[in-house]
Amino acid sequence: MTKKLLAGAIALAGTALVLPACADPDIYGTFPVTVKGYSGSKTNSVAYTGQIARHVLHDSLKKLAGKGNGKPNPALKAEMMSYFAQKTPGRTIIAPTSKKKFVIKQTGVDQISKKKNLAGKTYKGNISGMPNNMTGPQLISFWIDKASSAKKGVDMANGYNYPQLISKFILGAVFYNQAVDNYLDEKMTAKKKPNNKPYKKGAYYTGKEHSWDEAFGYFGTPAHGLSLTPKQLYNIAKRKPGAEKYADKNGDGKIDLYKEYTFGPAYYAAGADKTGKTSYGKTITQAFLDGRKVIANADGKKLTKAQLAKLQGLAKTIETNWEKTIAEAVFKYAGSCYKDLAAIKSGNKKTLKKYIKHWGELKGFSLALQAGRKNLGEVGAKLNRLIGFGPVMPNQSQVNDIDSKGNYVKGSGSIDNYMGHMLKTQKLMIDAFGIKARMKDQTKGMDAMLKKLGSGSSAEND
Amino acid sequence: MVKFYECTKPMIIDWISQEYIPHLTASFTDPQKRVSIGYLFAAFIIAIIWITVAKKQTFRRGFVLGLKKMIGLSIIWSKSSRADYKLLLINKALLILLSPFLVARLTVATAIFFYLKEIFPYGSGIFADSPIWIASVTYTVFLFLFDDFSRFAVHLGLHKIPILWAFHKTHHSAETLTPFTVFRAHPVESVIFSLRGTIVQSVAVSLFIFVFGTSIELLTIYGTSILLFAFNATGANLRHSHVPISYGKIEKFFMSPAQHQLHHSSAKQHHDKNFGVALSIWDNWAKTLHFSHGEMGLSFGVKSELYQNNHSLFSLYLRPFQEVIKYPKINSETKPREENVVFKKII
Repeated sequence: MTKKLLAGAIALAGTALVLPACADPDIYGTFPVTVKGYSGSKTNSVAYTGQIARHVLHDSLKKLAGKGNGKPNPALKAEMMSYFAQKTPGRTIIAPTSKKKFVIKQTGVDQISKKKNLAGKTYKGNISGMPNNMTGPQLISFWIDKASSAKKGVDMANGYNYPQLISKFILGAVFYNQAVDNYLDEKMTAKKKPNNKPYKKGAYYTGKEHSWDEAFGYFGTPAHGLSLTPKQLYNIAKRKPGAEKYADKNGDGKIDLYKEYTFGPAYYAAGADKTGKTSYGKTITQAFLDGRKVIANADGKKLTKAQLAKLQGLAKTIETNWEKTIAEAVFKYAGSCYKDLAAIKSGNKKTLKKYIKHWGELKGFSLALQAGRKNLGEVGAKLNRLIGFGPVMPNQSQVNDIDSKGNYVKGSGSIDNYMGHMLKTQKLMIDAFGIKARMKDQTKGMDAMLKKLGSGSSAEND
Repeated sequence: MVKFYECTKPMIIDWISQEYIPHLTASFTDPQKRVSIGYLFAAFIIAIIWITVAKKQTFRRGFVLGLKKMIGLSIIWSKSSRADYKLLLINKALLILLSPFLVARLTVATAIFFYLKEIFPYGSGIFADSPIWIASVTYTVFLFLFDDFSRFAVHLGLHKIPILWAFHKTHHSAETLTPFTVFRAHPVESVIFSLRGTIVQSVAVSLFIFVFGTSIELLTIYGTSILLFAFNATGANLRHSHVPISYGKIEKFFMSPAQHQLHHSSAKQHHDKNFGVALSIWDNWAKTLHFSHGEMGLSFGVKSELYQNNHSLFSLYLRPFQEVIKYPKINSETKPREENVVFKKII
């Protein structure tokens, strides 16, 4: 009897000891090391520091792009290039930084990950939505050059807001592209990065574990993102007062950019989800978590066909929903541009700056949408035709080319026609991607008017 | 193993409780519907006042006569009226089931809007600077006129095109008229009218957003267009009744209940007259206008052995198909309202 009681007490004590160590099933935080033969001290195989470092490089680059004084500024250009293309040690985090009670743990990029850049991971295909068939890195370098000599990064004559163009394009050309066209695509096949081998020699994570983690890192949601509402995720990215309370999961009083902050892709998903009509962020995060569990359960063995199929299905879910978040952003900013143009037409000159900013976001996202795994074909061609190479300006001019010296060539455009293009862009996003949040819907008025009419007596006759 | 009825029974019950019953009750509570309880009550009051005043009766006598003409058992529980109720119940279910397959108004409206943008790129927002009240008044009036005209045009087609007349006969086979006769329609006709509603509303909404550059408020009372409300509240339900209210000379502009009752008359001289709903200007223009005159002593229904006193559901739902399938090449010279030997051969 005494032995039984003792055994029971030991079992209870053991359970009590083990319980706190169990990972929260809704947090993308701790998964065991499964690499066979690993003899190091690591106990958690999750790692995506490189991706978070790139988010920080992106945010910092965007901030720098708005620092021009209107004159050629080689020093600023060099600094921007150091965040985009170099792997310079000692780079400080220019954004995001602490804001009142929202204290950010890291102040330097190297505190997250060393020797990272954006250019090496930028979509290398030709960007058909801009002139001269530039590749992704070439286009960003071109914009960095322009931004360095534009006042606050904005070219008011031609209608370019470079911080927005650079930032929104990178959201697609780096983060979306790397996740869906690399880590969730070929690296989720049987041959590439197998699960029964370390990702690279000596690594404490397997090929599949790390590939999946890297894709998750590019999405940029906090590790405990599933427990947060879209509004909370949104507020964290905005560093709003009070957001530190739910961002700081471990309660150390600081926001760890690696696992407690919302970056670009997750921020835009939350923006759409805030409407209550979509749940892109939750769907994507849940799929990442489910996929990671599948890999962890394989316990360092080669994945079976069924496990691979499951992962590929989840990867498809992530890709589709991620694509929709970008399409939602295109939709939203096309609506904003339409509204701005209507104000400009009615003589409101103050709207021009806002219009140029919205157009930069629209163009950037439209190019980001085309940087995924799939070739959008006709949809991409239509999108580029509708948006053009530049916005139609109040004087009815529009950039239609870039000469060999990098100067803009302008032609004429019609504001009325262009407003029509904005509406068609919104319609294209609905037709091609089936988006639901539809922020800044310029045909919403039509829907409301029709609803007000009701079905009435329309089916009844005399 | 889950038995079939365990799965289907709750689904059917859910459908009835969550779809069918709410739709059905909305017909009597929604001010956008003609047989909404308020309009029925208004029609009843108007009928009593008219009988009292026009027939120089005491109020008590007028009230009794009004009751008899409106809710007399020989009217509301006639074989014809009982068929109206059955059609109401069945058609409501059919239309709910069919509605997902009917083209969405927003799809049509958006397509028209973009088409307008395409063909009139400079016409977008041309009245954007107009005062909001002008936009609202114009929109409300346009919608009412366009809707009324479309009803006239479709109704004319239902009479003049032999195949469509085969289906519209279901409505005209009513021999007693009650406000619920408005529901006595073949589902094919209901679908045609639903499409008409889709086109009218989509055109009006897209056109006004196009020219005014923004959404426009409809002038409403209780959520219904002010003009439609006025029409329904002033006795529209008496069109299908045995109370022949006449408007005199203004019947040239407004369709009186008596004029519509004349439209239902089985007398040959009244055939193909008064197709309009609220306005009679369309009939005047098409030379199909017929004024009403006092006590006309009308009898209603289709003058044919096939239809007279035949209100079976089989007849009302399937006979039109039989006519169309067996006799597709109906002599176009034949006046559709004149029942001919071709139809008599069917049964």
